[in-house]
Amino acid sequence: MKPESAIQTGFAEVKHSQADGQSGAPHAGTALEVKDLRAGYAGREILKGISFSVAADDFFAIIGPSGAGKSTLIRCVNRLVEPTSGAVIINGRDILQVSQSELRGVRRNIGMIFQEFNLIERLSVIDNVLTGRLGYTGTVRSLFRMYTKDDIKHALMLLDRVGLSEHVDKRADRLSGGQRQRVGIARALIQNPKLLLVDEPTSSLDPKISREVMGLIKEIGLEFGIPILCNIHDVELACEFCTRVIGLQDGMKKFEGSPRELDKAALQDIYSMEVL
Amino acid sequence: MPGAAGPAPRSAVPLTWSRFRYPQSLYKYGAVLATLAFIAYALDYLKIEVDRLPGLLGRVWETLSTRYYPPNVGHVLQPDYLRSVVETLQMSYLATVVGLAIAVPLAWFASFNMTPSRRFAYPIARLVIMGARSVHEMIWTILLVAILGFGMLPGAIALTLYCIGFAGKLFSEAVEAIEPGQVEAIRATGANNTQVFVYAVLPQVRVAWTGISIYTWDVLFRAATVVGFFGAGGMGWFLRESVQRVASRDVAAILLSIILVVIFSELVSAWLRTRVAKAIA
Amino acid sequence: MDARVAQVAVWRRRTRATRYTAYFAVAVAVAWSIEAIVIADTDWSRIFTGTLLQTLRGFVDLDFSILPALVQPTIETVLMATLATLAGLVLAIPVAWLGASNITPLGSFSYGIGRTLMTLSRSVHEIVWALIFVSAVGLGALAGVLAMAVRSVGFISKTIAEAIEDVDPKPIEAMRAVGGTKFQILLFGILPQITPVFIGNMIFEWDINIRRSTIMGLVGAGGLGLALFRQMAMSNYGGIATVVLVVLALIILAEIFSYYARRAVI
Repeated sequence: MKPESAIQTGFAEVKHSQADGQSGAPHAGTALEVKDLRAGYAGREILKGISFSVAADDFFAIIGPSGAGKSTLIRCVNRLVEPTSGAVIINGRDILQVSQSELRGVRRNIGMIFQEFNLIERLSVIDNVLTGRLGYTGTVRSLFRMYTKDDIKHALMLLDRVGLSEHVDKRADRLSGGQRQRVGIARALIQNPKLLLVDEPTSSLDPKISREVMGLIKEIGLEFGIPILCNIHDVELACEFCTRVIGLQDGMKKFEGSPRELDKAALQDIYSMEVL
Repeated sequence: MPGAAGPAPRSAVPLTWSRFRYPQSLYKYGAVLATLAFIAYALDYLKIEVDRLPGLLGRVWETLSTRYYPPNVGHVLQPDYLRSVVETLQMSYLATVVGLAIAVPLAWFASFNMTPSRRFAYPIARLVIMGARSVHEMIWTILLVAILGFGMLPGAIALTLYCIGFAGKLFSEAVEAIEPGQVEAIRATGANNTQVFVYAVLPQVRVAWTGISIYTWDVLFRAATVVGFFGAGGMGWFLRESVQRVASRDVAAILLSIILVVIFSELVSAWLRTRVAKAIA
Repeated sequence: MDARVAQVAVWRRRTRATRYTAYFAVAVAVAWSIEAIVIADTDWSRIFTGTLLQTLRGFVDLDFSILPALVQPTIETVLMATLATLAGLVLAIPVAWLGASNITPLGSFSYGIGRTLMTLSRSVHEIVWALIFVSAVGLGALAGVLAMAVRSVGFISKTIAEAIEDVDPKPIEAMRAVGGTKFQILLFGILPQITPVFIGNMIFEWDINIRRSTIMGLVGAGGLGLALFRQMAMSNYGGIATVVLVVLALIILAEIFSYYARRAVI
């Protein structure tokens, strides 16, 4: 666990967590490539041509002011929002060209963690984690909630890993915010994902819990070898935990680079305001 | 400034006020006049004799107390009639179960947020629900009795149709009120439409739907007591029979028994709703 | 870990067992009902050999010639429903007064009476009310209007009572402070607050009354129900189907109207 630090002044001072020479080293294979992505609806374009790529060992952050399109961008990657043009290439396949039934197969390999946790409030913790296997379970079996013993074992192990072993049978709405987010993390992991999408994981959490959750996500990404694409509005947290950052403003990419390259000038460009 | 004639007015607003303000008062009085005119017109069109109204209560009381009192309780305690009470229960029960089973997927298709196909399934499902609801259950009964003859079957089918319309609308409204976040999460795991419905929609609407189901049974039972009047089985059948014989005391007894039975079922359903809501929530 | 997994699996099996027993009980009751209704009570031979297809074909062969004769009954139906809703409102006001816990005059006694009247009105099917009123005031529209009015009292008074119970107590306090009687408090303190609430509900109940109004004629009260009854008496299946279609159209129109009217009020 990272020690609680005072507010960091000067974004040039960036902590490299678990320093393993990320910046500058050659990418260990591209997990996700986004090419000229556009999205919007009649009368309004939200994403105006975004391109970037995420390496297999990246903890990739998307920062930017609200309304910049961060939420839309991350949802385009698993097509919860349908982009209007561009390409999203995951492990060599452009998933925007893929049919609806193939999309299920794509989605079950992508884990998603949500800002408001999006748990099924009435179900228990373990039932929530097991819903992560729905993409792998046939319709009839899932109707009767007949998950395999292996699934149950996997769920219990993951709950242990995120520190929720004592809460396995509790109803989801009885947990605190931080605990709920951990359930969300376990649910995403039980999919054995090849990519993790994280949408503002800490907006609904207080600062101390936020760091714990970010730390946990990073640990897991490294431990299970999963690339992570993460929306985050807290620039400090982004710089502390993430390996690469892009800055979005008004649907366009204003910055791409490592956290230590994210200096005052770049932030001003992204956020269009005086950075104190 | 203070003057001999008292303080001068501070602005140009007149110090008088009248109850009639233009145009709000015009609208208000206009609406009242229009309503009264409408009532007069309607009473005339429907040939309702207004001058007979004042003595109405007196005449009603007189009729009820001479011809319908005392009610012939013996008629109601016959085994045939008691069996018809059970039959009424069976009709309402079957109609509720079958109707709800059909209403569940129908409501899913008819909910704007969760329907799997906005182009086809949604409008068709909406139309079916609307059609089933609009036609009064007694009209359904009459139509089905014309097709299938007398008996409990047309009554049960008519009640099922009514159930589909009634519960279908309420069910779909509950679905349209759910939180989208949970739906998003389940969709993101790669689940198909059915799994999304079972895991993201059902847990959220479970409580509301249970209350609606019990309420629907209650309404259906009330209707089931009367469908017999138009040829289906149950208590209503005896009602029709005694009306045709102009056996007013029998009619009174049957009406009273119907009222009692329905009130009893209402109490049961109210109790059930609170119990189940607590158990499920 | 394996013990834990086994524990979870057992627990899931047990809850599944309770759920399935419940489903089984329901299924048994359904089977019993089906046996009683479909097998024991229905004369299947008659249905299949006899008139089934003939009747259906008769329905499909719509008789449009009666349409002009349906205009007047339709107007009657709408007028009856509207009068009934207004009358129901008038009757509902005192019932709501009794059944609202904050203004009921004699405490829990009058509250009980108010709530009982509400339940009574709603528990009795409109057909039963219609039969009662037909025997009391004779055949004709009046019986239908009265029956629907009494039936509506339950819903309208319940809505008004709930609105009264949710009312802001401050204007009421002011009315009491100036020395108003209970009736004046009702008129000036409460009524202005609840008017917007119950107009929407009135429109909703009017819509429901249109539906009820279509069958009042079956017990002699006029409107489209009477037209239906006449077509039935003549065994004119095409005519019956036409009347039903007119009813359907009327109700759909009423629903559309009620939907937009309620939006306009809110």
